[in-house]
Amino acid sequence: MKKPTVGIFKFTSDAGCQLQILNLEKELLELLKLIDIAYFPMASRNYGKGPFDIGFVEGAVTSTEEIIKIKEIREQCRILVALGSCACYGGIASIKNHKPQRELEERVYTDLTAVHSTKAYGIDQYVKVDAYVKGCPIDKNEFVEVVKSTLMEIKPNLRPHSVCVECKLREYPCIFLTEGKVCMGPVTSAGCGALCPSKHRACEGCRGPASDPNTSSLARTMMEYGLTPEEVRLKFIKYAGETQAFKEGAGVR
Amino acid sequence: MLQKENEISVLIENSRLLSPNGMNEFIRKLSAYYEVYAPIKGEKLVVFEKVENPQDIAWDYETTQISPKKFLHKPFEILFSFEDGGKIINENKDVVEKSQILLGLHPCDVRAIEILDKVFTKRYEDPYYMKRRKNSIIIALTCSDAHEACYCTSFGTGPRIDSGFDLLITTLGGNYLVEIGSARGREILSRYADALSTDSSILMEYHRLKNAKLEIIENKISSKMDTEDIAELLEQNINHPLWENLKEECLACGSCTIVCPTCYCFTIIDKVDLTLKSGERQRVWDSCMLLEFAEVALGVNFRSERAARIKQRVYHKLYSFEHQYYIRGCVGCGRCIRFCLKKIDPRKIIAELRGEPIEQ
Repeated sequence: MKKPTVGIFKFTSDAGCQLQILNLEKELLELLKLIDIAYFPMASRNYGKGPFDIGFVEGAVTSTEEIIKIKEIREQCRILVALGSCACYGGIASIKNHKPQRELEERVYTDLTAVHSTKAYGIDQYVKVDAYVKGCPIDKNEFVEVVKSTLMEIKPNLRPHSVCVECKLREYPCIFLTEGKVCMGPVTSAGCGALCPSKHRACEGCRGPASDPNTSSLARTMMEYGLTPEEVRLKFIKYAGETQAFKEGAGVR
Repeated sequence: MLQKENEISVLIENSRLLSPNGMNEFIRKLSAYYEVYAPIKGEKLVVFEKVENPQDIAWDYETTQISPKKFLHKPFEILFSFEDGGKIINENKDVVEKSQILLGLHPCDVRAIEILDKVFTKRYEDPYYMKRRKNSIIIALTCSDAHEACYCTSFGTGPRIDSGFDLLITTLGGNYLVEIGSARGREILSRYADALSTDSSILMEYHRLKNAKLEIIENKISSKMDTEDIAELLEQNINHPLWENLKEECLACGSCTIVCPTCYCFTIIDKVDLTLKSGERQRVWDSCMLLEFAEVALGVNFRSERAARIKQRVYHKLYSFEHQYYIRGCVGCGRCIRFCLKKIDPRKIIAELRGEPIEQ
C-alpha cells in the first residue's frame, strides 16, 4: 500500500515548529516508514508536488500572497493541520494587529513600496482546519500523536485543559501562589508538560486558550497581584490575542 | 477519657517512646526492607518522596500539594501493554512488588485513604489500587499545628485518629510517641525499633502531652463547615444564585481536584506506538472540573457549563458520595482552598447556602 503523503509548509514564522519535527531524532525514521514526507523545504530540496494526504502548516498568514497560497494548499491537502501557535492563532506576529499597520511598517522598513502586509491571523481565518497542534514551538510528541491518530482515523489524544493540571500532576510548586509570579497557566492549554513552570518561569500562554478558560477572572487576579491593566493586556495578546477568550482577558479594566 | 483502668493498660501496652536517634535508626532499618515514603522538605514545598535520609523528614510539615494517595492511585500508570492482534502482555508491570511504607500521613490523609478503599472496592476490586494498598503500611503522624484552611474537625477526620493506621507517631518535646494500630504495626515496631521507654508513668505523661497538643490544635481550627443536614441543604439549593456567581470566579483550572486526597477520577488512554498496532494502556488522573471530562461521542457534553462542574464537585463530595459509598467525600484537609488561586472555599459555599454572613 502506498504510504500517505505529507507536505510541510511555512508561512510567517521563525521555523521553530518545523525544527521540532527534525528534532524527533529517535522516532523520525520509524515515522518515515508510515508516511512519505513529499514536501518539506527545510529538510529536502526535492519539492514534491501535491495533492497531499496531510498538510502541516507552520506560521501566520500576514499578506495577500499568503492568503492566496493557504487557499491553494487547502485545496491540495485532504487533512490540514495548523502547526504551532502562529498557524493556530497568529502567534507572536499577531501582536502587530493591535497597532496601526503603517506605523509598524515604518518602524521596520525604510522603503515601503514592496510591503503589502495584512493583519496576522491563524490559518483558520481563511481556510478550514482539521487539527491544531498548539505551542511555541510545538511539542514534538504531540506532532507524532497527530500523525498516528490521523493515520488511524481517530481523534488525537491532546488534553486541552489548563497547564495547572500538568503542574500539579508533576508536583511543581505553584509559582503564582508561592512566589507571586503572575502566570497564564490557569487559562492556557496544556500539552507542554508545564515546561516553563518547571523552570520556575511563569507560563506565557504560548499554547493559547485552554478549554473553557476564565480569562476575565484571571485578569482580575493578575491586577490584585499588582499588574496594571496594560500589563495584563500585553500578557493576553502575546500569542493568541485574536482568540475570543484572550481578547476578553486583554480587555479587562 | 483515660479513666478506666483497662483502657489505660491497653493504651500503655500499645505505646512506645523513641528518641530522635531511635526514630532515625528505626526508619533506616525499615528502608532496608521497604520503600519508605515520607514528607520531605523541598525547595518550595514539602513533597511525599522516598526517604533517602531519615533526617530529611519534615516532621512538622503543614501539608503537601499532592496527597499520599499518589502511592496507591498513581497520577500516571501503565496498566498493560498490548500486541498486534490484541494479546495483553506485561500486565501490572507498573505495580511495585516490594512493600511500601507511607510515613508521616496526617489524620485527614489517613481518612482519605479509607475513603479511597471504599471507592476502589465497591463493585469490584481495582487490581492496580488494591495490589499497592495491600502492600502498604501506613504510619500516621499527629499534626504539629493547624492551618487556617484546615477543617478536619467538621468531619471528625482529625486531628484525633484512633484507627486506619499501622502506627501513629506524635512528636513531643523532641521525642516520638509511637502508638500501635495493627498487628503489622506491632511487628515492625518490635522488630526494628529500640524503645527509649516502656515505663507506664513516663508513657502516660507523654499521652497527657499529646492530648494537650491536640487540644491546642482543635481550638485553633476555628473556621468550620456546618455539616448538619447538609444533604437537605444541598438538595434545596441546586439553583441557588451562588453557583452562577462562583462561575464568574472559578478558573475551572482543575487544581482543586488534582490536590484533593479523595478525588479518584481517571481517564484511560490506549497509547499506540509507531507500528500503529501495539502499544500500552495508560491510566491518568482526570478531573470533573475540566470541560472535556463529561464529553462523549459526537461532542455531546453533559456538563459544558462551568457552574454545573462547580456544583458537581461540591455535590459529589458532600452529597452523592454518601449515597455511593456510605461516607462523606471530604476530609477537611484544606488543600483545595490552599492551592486555589481564587481561594474558593467549600466552608464559605456551605455558609452562604445557609444564609450565614460571610467574613472575607
